[in-house]
Amino acid sequence: MSRSTPIEPVRKSARVKAPIAHAFEVFTSGLSRWWPPNHGIGKKPIRKVLLEPHLGGRWLEISEDGTETSVATIIHWQPPHRLVMLWQVNAQWKPDVAMRSEVDVRFTAEGANATHVELVHHKFETMGEDAGASLRKDVNGGWPGLIERFAQEAERSSPAQTQ
Amino acid sequence: MTYGNALTVLADPTRRQVFERLRAGPHAVNAIAAGLPVSRPAVSQHLKALKAAGLVQERSEGVRRIYSVRREGLADLRDWLDSFWGDALEAFKREAEKPRAKKARSR
Repeated sequence: MSRSTPIEPVRKSARVKAPIAHAFEVFTSGLSRWWPPNHGIGKKPIRKVLLEPHLGGRWLEISEDGTETSVATIIHWQPPHRLVMLWQVNAQWKPDVAMRSEVDVRFTAEGANATHVELVHHKFETMGEDAGASLRKDVNGGWPGLIERFAQEAERSSPAQTQ
Repeated sequence: MTYGNALTVLADPTRRQVFERLRAGPHAVNAIAAGLPVSRPAVSQHLKALKAAGLVQERSEGVRRIYSVRREGLADLRDWLDSFWGDALEAFKREAEKPRAKKARSR
């Protein structure tokens, strides 16, 4: 077994005009309310995406026919400051419990009514060099299928005015 | 929702051709129309639609109108297409910033 070379983490952040407790609650218990509905890896169409808000809790997708797909598992739970999830998704964007990249989300209060949220997706190297690089590229860029979504949207909203 | 307009506008294949020509650099309407299988007035209409969506800009040079790609318009579109976690955080931020129920204030 060769030692894995670290792959650079993906870092994103947002400043939210809301108290830290509220921001954390929305991110976790409220996942269903904001997660982009097309962003799923399981069976389509998706009825609901939810996060079980506790240590060991799963990120679940529930499809219209009731199929449950686990996307991630919470391995560190420190409300309202931090949660870490094992991102159990492989390079082909299929659920795979053997995959162990991690999504680390930290919340920092900036006064009473603002929160800085930092998301770091890292440990891609645990997936192997090629698979890790591939997933990293995907999460740093667009969700796979976004181009497809673009095409669908473009076609759907295309005015039938072309001569 | 700038990107929404951009998507709609670029869904038209001819308009996309017009837009692609401008990516090489600024051009006058005549130059853009040359070689395209549509009339010059039709090209003008396409340019008008592209401009309304924020994808191109125009300036006058004497009697000619010179069109060029508007980078900011493209950036909006790219941002929309390009970010998985960025997208997600943006959606999260919108939800977290929605007005809250009164009970949240009494803590």
